[in-house]
Amino acid sequence: MRSFLIRCYPARWRARYGDEFEALLEERPLGPFDVADILLGALDAQLRLRGRGAVIAHGRGLSMSLRISGIAAIIGAALLAGAGVLSYDLVEVDAVVQPVLFFAGLGTLLVALTGLSAFQARVAPRLIWGAFALTAIGTIASVVAMVAFVGNPLMADQYWGLWFLGVATALSGSALFAIATYRTAALSRGAAVLLGVGSVLPFVSGNVQPILLAAVISFLLGWFTLGVQAIRLDRQVTDPRPA
Amino acid sequence: MEAKIPEFGRFAEPSLLILVSLSDGPKHGYAIMRDVERGTGRPMGAGTLYAALARLEEQGLIEPLPQVDRRRPYRLTAVGASYLAEQLRGLSEFAQMGLRQLGKTSP
Repeated sequence: MRSFLIRCYPARWRARYGDEFEALLEERPLGPFDVADILLGALDAQLRLRGRGAVIAHGRGLSMSLRISGIAAIIGAALLAGAGVLSYDLVEVDAVVQPVLFFAGLGTLLVALTGLSAFQARVAPRLIWGAFALTAIGTIASVVAMVAFVGNPLMADQYWGLWFLGVATALSGSALFAIATYRTAALSRGAAVLLGVGSVLPFVSGNVQPILLAAVISFLLGWFTLGVQAIRLDRQVTDPRPA
Repeated sequence: MEAKIPEFGRFAEPSLLILVSLSDGPKHGYAIMRDVERGTGRPMGAGTLYAALARLEEQGLIEPLPQVDRRRPYRLTAVGASYLAEQLRGLSEFAQMGLRQLGKTSP
């Protein structure tokens, strides 16, 4: 993993920083946040070394931050809430809108999980990688199921099963993430409990609608609260001088 | 010495945090990351650290020292120290202005 990440940087960059960078990566466990941050750093280095002058002059750069993750958590929760509301047919919209909102929400929450794992990966790297993998696999499986269903509605039963399995896997990922967050206590434990309850409750609800609704609300509130807290943690302190 | 204020874009904040970390002496990358995380309570990824270090070095605000056990320490240059002092003074003035305004409007 480490050597792959280093190879993503341009050769000229590796010649200068490669050895010390590798030594740095060996000093602590890498989580999804670190991997995303390094990949963005590699992309930044590639862009800078290709279009050096213009890039520096305009001060562009790529970095992973808690703010991005916080915003992603809030947007992801909002998208899923929108998808949930549409599933009750309260508003008349094109049939494709609801699944698109749903998958966009899951994908955005995956970005949030990646960024928010910055704290947990130091303490529970395996747990956090498990959370990331399950959420990613679940999201992909449910997207594949939905696309396949649109392409071949006659096989709806099979695709429904795959979709359900995908969602259940993604929920399991969120549950692991909630456990890691609770254990680390770097972010709100209350939000971790909400997320954990919201992720586990659907499995034991017995399809009782009020319990399912409570689970959905708890799940979304958990992500929303984590997002708000991440943004607070990442408040900009640099150069806040007025223009 | 008058330092030209460099453009760091999205790396302005990490760069400032690194300069503050180096203000009490040379440090290698991992020590800077730990220092920043301890000081701000926020994580700094290795990709962000080295993107900012490369910019700071390019602008002459920090300089590398010889490697020790594959770790390379960095230290502030005179221009870097001057730039950091200027930035911190700006932040301090802004904070004082904000506190004064808050004092006028607070019940």
